[in-house]
Amino acid sequence: MASMEKRLQKELLALTKDPPVGVKVNTDAITKNLAEWTVDLEGAPGTVFEGENFQLQFKFGSRYPFDSPQVMFIGPNIPLHPHVYSNGHICLSILTDDWSPALSVQSVCLSVVSMLSSCKEKKRPPDNALYVKTCSKNPKKTRWWYHDDSV
Amino acid sequence: MLLDQFNFHYISGWTAVASWRWIANDENCGICRMPFDGCCPDCKLPGDDCPLVWGQCSHCFHIHCIVKWLNSQQVHQLCPMCRQEWKFKE
Repeated sequence: MASMEKRLQKELLALTKDPPVGVKVNTDAITKNLAEWTVDLEGAPGTVFEGENFQLQFKFGSRYPFDSPQVMFIGPNIPLHPHVYSNGHICLSILTDDWSPALSVQSVCLSVVSMLSSCKEKKRPPDNALYVKTCSKNPKKTRWWYHDDSV
Repeated sequence: MLLDQFNFHYISGWTAVASWRWIANDENCGICRMPFDGCCPDCKLPGDDCPLVWGQCSHCFHIHCIVKWLNSQQVHQLCPMCRQEWKFKE
């Protein structure tokens, strides 16, 4: 547990001191529980999500950063994107198969913003209805099939 | 007469002081984010007890960090930084 907390403390300090554009960590909530973060994301200017705000939830296990965090959208605005299910689950390979301990909260946030930014048409994944009915509450338990690098 | 021109001092004891640092291409370990001149989060003392290792790709980590990562990977053992196959540099 100690090594996970040490790294998260360092990440929190760096993110609050020098946050990337459009990424804001909800620090007050984290001081109570370091294992669960909420991050506010802004849709990037010049993209279909310009002017929209989203909330990303991170849950860290005791084996972080050797295990990936559990990351999903929460709150009233789940982005309409072909890789984001209406329950907030995200189909993004770095969150499971392609996770590396060199990644961080900051790099995950930037990947998600970049995934949103390359979207041209706002729509749900084609299998949304079936997936949200049958999936686990934990998106990491889904056997994701990564096949579309275009958005 | 000659001796009077010099002041002789005798050394009664001495303490050696030295400093060291790892020569790595970065300040911090990319896995635990602790300084290379410190130790990984599981160790107490830096230095020989918590050494650095290099991969053939030239990336460098605390040995305890990279071994923990490699042991957690079942299929491919990749460098966390460049995702090339991890091979320890001889």
